[in-house]
Amino acid sequence: MNERKVYPFTAIVGQEQMKTALILNIINPMLGGVLIRGEKGTAKSTAVRALAELMPNIKKVKGCKFGCDPYGAEFCPECEAKIASGEAFEIVESKMQVTDLPVSATEDRVVGTLDIEYAIKHGEKKFECGILAQANRNILYVDEVNLLDDHVVDVLLDSAAMGVNTIEREGISYSHPARFTLVGTMNPEEGDLRPQLLDRFGLVVDVTGENSKEQRAEVVRRRLEFEENPDLFAQRFEDSQNELSNRIAAAKKILKSVTYDNDILMMAATLSLALGVDGHRADITMIKTAMTIAAFHNRTQVSKEDLKNAAILVLPHRMRRTPFESGVLDENAIEQILLSNE
Amino acid sequence: MKRKVFPFSAVMGQEEIKKALIWNFVNPNIGGVLISGQKGTAKSTLVRASEYISGKKIIELPLNITEDRLLGAIDFENAVKNGTKKLEKGILYYADGNILYADEVNLLSDNIAKALLESGSEGICRVEREGISDVYPSKFILIGSMNPEESGLRPQLLDRFGLYVEVAGEENPLVRCEIIRRRIAFENDPVTFIAEYQEEDKKIAKRIQKAKDRLPSIEVSANALLLAAQLAHNANCEGSRGEITVIETAKAICALNGSSAVNKEAISEAAKYALPHRMRDSAPPQKKSEDNQEEQEQQAQQNQDETEEQTQTSSSESSAEENSSENSPFNEEKQGSGNSSFPFKEKDETEKTQSFGEQFEVGKWLDDDKRKRLIKKGSGRRSLVKTDSLQGRYVKSTMNSPEQSDIAFDATLRAAAPYQLSRDKNGMAIAIQSSDIRTKVREKRTGNFIVFVVDASASMGTGKRMAAVKGAILSLLSDAYQKRDKVAMITFRRDKADLVLGMTRSVDLAAKKLETISTGGKTPLYAGLEAAHNLIKASMRREKDLLPVVVLVSDGRATCGRSKDPFADAVREGCSLTADHIKTVIIDVEQDFIKLRLAEKLAKKMDAKVYKISELHAGAILSAVNMAICEKTGL
Repeated sequence: MNERKVYPFTAIVGQEQMKTALILNIINPMLGGVLIRGEKGTAKSTAVRALAELMPNIKKVKGCKFGCDPYGAEFCPECEAKIASGEAFEIVESKMQVTDLPVSATEDRVVGTLDIEYAIKHGEKKFECGILAQANRNILYVDEVNLLDDHVVDVLLDSAAMGVNTIEREGISYSHPARFTLVGTMNPEEGDLRPQLLDRFGLVVDVTGENSKEQRAEVVRRRLEFEENPDLFAQRFEDSQNELSNRIAAAKKILKSVTYDNDILMMAATLSLALGVDGHRADITMIKTAMTIAAFHNRTQVSKEDLKNAAILVLPHRMRRTPFESGVLDENAIEQILLSNE
Repeated sequence: MKRKVFPFSAVMGQEEIKKALIWNFVNPNIGGVLISGQKGTAKSTLVRASEYISGKKIIELPLNITEDRLLGAIDFENAVKNGTKKLEKGILYYADGNILYADEVNLLSDNIAKALLESGSEGICRVEREGISDVYPSKFILIGSMNPEESGLRPQLLDRFGLYVEVAGEENPLVRCEIIRRRIAFENDPVTFIAEYQEEDKKIAKRIQKAKDRLPSIEVSANALLLAAQLAHNANCEGSRGEITVIETAKAICALNGSSAVNKEAISEAAKYALPHRMRDSAPPQKKSEDNQEEQEQQAQQNQDETEEQTQTSSSESSAEENSSENSPFNEEKQGSGNSSFPFKEKDETEKTQSFGEQFEVGKWLDDDKRKRLIKKGSGRRSLVKTDSLQGRYVKSTMNSPEQSDIAFDATLRAAAPYQLSRDKNGMAIAIQSSDIRTKVREKRTGNFIVFVVDASASMGTGKRMAAVKGAILSLLSDAYQKRDKVAMITFRRDKADLVLGMTRSVDLAAKKLETISTGGKTPLYAGLEAAHNLIKASMRREKDLLPVVVLVSDGRATCGRSKDPFADAVREGCSLTADHIKTVIIDVEQDFIKLRLAEKLAKKMDAKVYKISELHAGAILSAVNMAICEKTGL
């Protein structure tokens, strides 16, 4: 198959919240992914596909099926063996990828399974990697994530939580790192997501079609231009694409040096308590998101504004609610909670 | 692979889990612990962090484990090479003397849970499979964690756990802040973070080791035994496992705090952890659990159990496999996406739209009983069924399947392996014959399919009737949302039934549609039932595993029919539903002064349950629906 040109990320009109959420997840893969909810035709998939071009390079152990991080703390069994035998890693660099998880995927393909061909040819057992192996240190993209089979969701949850895929099935016993950024898109009209899975997504954004006539016209105009001549269209956005890539790379660099003070922590805890979210995952994600937002704006100190913006991405889907309340959380609501808790 | 885990001593709060875990490490005879609570409350973090302080290995039980890896199976490589049968041991072997950790233990498949129970109770594992017979020791500390939101736990499995702890997030904002800080510090640099807490972890490990050494010398007086027995009796616990666990736990507590004999304080503390999940249904009031978390869905469950007890039903009917070729009036396009014959868009003077009535709180009046909240009797929530379709989790293999399409390669290879020395292999390492073929047995969780058939004729507009109905349905929908059931809604009025909402999992959508239902016109009851029947038939053709239930909201009055007797038409339609093994629950909304009791008549003819809306809280409707499903699946 020829490589298809993808629609440039920066050419997407509007949908700022969605774009921000995706970019934040590239800068900081520990954010826990993003779920994009919205009607058909709101550039959800387009945006995720377009991410590929913006992805930074990462260093990997050469020949490792799981793309282990040579400077990381956890390794797959093969790399562990290399370390144990004192063998130095050869390091290669390649782009982060978007790995697809089709809704129809079977469990054995997701987690990996017994390599049948090898078994029949050699009479020995060997582990055949699944999608989760490929997804390690990459983005795992599930379109229509709400339609995924329950048992596949269970597996995803397990690995997403631990960053490890443990296989004890079909005669295979194996475990390998599976630390991926989960990106899902869904149309809420086709069914809801299990609360457990919802909670695993670090951020959630709701997208709607653009409202203004001018913007809508612009969407159509760009789409037509792109279809007519993808190469030319891509050229037009080359500069802005490069600029964004550089900005992401720069943010990645300073992310570790971003700091926050106690006020910010207190704000996060107050918001979580006031909104009655389950557990502590929301608090932690809120701070991490705020840190990443600061880094994206080339700052090393988290501001209150950063935290508020983070809260809007992190909290709404975690608020305890019946399905019939709208679950809207905007800046005003946040402001009010903070004021009333001072 | 080695993992970098968050250190035990770095976890803030959650003292109850920590205690329960430590006691188990001191005294493995306690029998493990079940941790239940919300998402994101350090449940699994603490368990995984226990490796260092306990000095034991933690063997994880993945949700999707297959039987061959749990118990063991024929060593395939050895069989091919040497033609001999040898057991390749499963993880129960490796768990011996260690910790077996099952995260999301409530989602484990039935086969696995059963196998786990068998080995767990005896401390040995017997393997009788694939021509191999073996026994190996398998005594382990079983630790389970679960989020009760997702599904309940089967009672046998619940009893298997020595202790039970319920957790929630921290309420103190300062503690919350520290939790965030530590987590972020850990993620930034796990190696340094772990090193910082190593000293603290070491102290805990030493304490445990010391207590372990002291444990055999802890004395248990006759009085202590008596007290434990008394507590267990008061809590109405089954069997004597309750008091044994109390004593074992009290021994661990005393070993840790330096007492030489089990004392009263230790026993009463131990009882708080060892008894709550063993309390039987009619617990004496003084042993009511102190925990008062009011989660609606859990309450609903109690409520349901309550009703189950009162009504002794044990009919087990096979699921309907009726595949009529009759065409459904609802084509696929309409499914889930609203509908073109939406009658309310056209403005009609006589039409009123009533807003939702009271949305009922479900069953708050009932005793709060942990055990009941934990067990779901297979009804309602995500019923587990064996499935023929290719979807579903592969749990084990079988050799007696008529169709050999869904081949279990691993089992097939193992079946073929011992014969390889004598077979002609054509250059390959393995030759497989048709007698070796094994196929997969899959298991799948299905939700229920609730079809609401709502009377929207003029009579429903009187009083607050429609508002009450909407309130009731809304509460049912909330429950469906949590269980991820599928719902559909049909209204009938004037001369026809309208599919307001095709089969969907989106309860949001259902609620929106519900809001727009307006009333007016005659009452073609038969049409509503017929439409429900057709819808179910069409849906079952696509998804065989559905468990359909019809909820008819009506006063039983029919004013429009095919023949001169509209009520007889309705009865005929209703009976054909029953004939197809589709359960119906009728919610009688008759409120007139002079009662015609038509709904009751209809229910009698259809062999359906009938409930009056005036006496009904949504919770009761819920249990009615769940019961109907229960009867149907024979659970």
